[in-house]
Amino acid sequence: MAATAQTEPVRDTVPKVNDELAVGSDLEFQQRWWRFTRVLWMFFTALIIADLLGCFGRGWLANARIRTNDGTMDVQYERIERFSTASIMRIEFGPSAIHDGKVQLWMGESFLKSLGNQRVVPQPLLSVIGQGGITYTFPVTTVPAAVEFGLEPLKPGLYELNLRVPGAEQINPKVFVMP
Amino acid sequence: MSTVIHAIIGYFFLLVAVRVLSRRPGAQMTPFEFVIIFLMGGVIILTTVGDDRSETNSICAVITVGLMHRLVSWLAVRFRFFGNFVEGTPLVVLKDGQWQKDIMRRMRLEDMDVMAAARTTGVRTLDKIKYAILERNGAISIINTDK
Repeated sequence: MAATAQTEPVRDTVPKVNDELAVGSDLEFQQRWWRFTRVLWMFFTALIIADLLGCFGRGWLANARIRTNDGTMDVQYERIERFSTASIMRIEFGPSAIHDGKVQLWMGESFLKSLGNQRVVPQPLLSVIGQGGITYTFPVTTVPAAVEFGLEPLKPGLYELNLRVPGAEQINPKVFVMP
Repeated sequence: MSTVIHAIIGYFFLLVAVRVLSRRPGAQMTPFEFVIIFLMGGVIILTTVGDDRSETNSICAVITVGLMHRLVSWLAVRFRFFGNFVEGTPLVVLKDGQWQKDIMRRMRLEDMDVMAAARTTGVRTLDKIKYAILERNGAISIINTDK
């Protein structure tokens, strides 16, 4: 059995210009659309300026530095990181952090779990897991000594890093990871 | 999971970005504007698939974009305002021998663009055009004075 085709009479539903040409133009919508696009372009421009300044990471405003009052550590990092994007955190140790040609650094778990520590330069002599984090031991021949960590955040969010030279003041820089 | 979310965000961002380029893509695009559209798509692909180059991930991304497009097309037909938002509205750029200057300026159209469309219909001069309409797909329709 053949299917019955659905039909509907044609009606003059498309609005006309000069009462003779069916165009269906909606100028009221178009005016609103132009206002919307003007605002959107301003927003896009502001977004790019913010990006150039480093509001979303990888720029001037994203760079941060934090020192311990006792001079054991000076940490240069990016307070705004980007998800799955490589960055460097540099830690300089003062003379008071060095004992017997070695320096120890304890880092909390959040650093390892969320910021994706990919590599450490130089390689530590020893890495010990415990006390809610990991303790690295580095050999030191000159002062100030510096260690660099290659990061690649694993997920977006706000994280607190916990860094401490055993027996000295702990610092807790906050890092926001952009999606 | 993240691929699907990235594909949805990327789809909507591209939808808005391409729409606000003002001069509509399609029939009115220059070769360079085509390159820009492809460039935008290429950049969105990077974040959509991330470092997961598996067949599974690619297929999920393609299906997500396909479903999004189907949904948006359905909404565009179902709701007039949404249809205008994603596809625009036809605009009369020349009426009764008068340029609609404001529309021309805002759509970044020139008389040359209208004349180019007119020539394809056999119209030789601008004064033979009664109406020129910038259609939703970016084409310019010409109604000449003889019709």
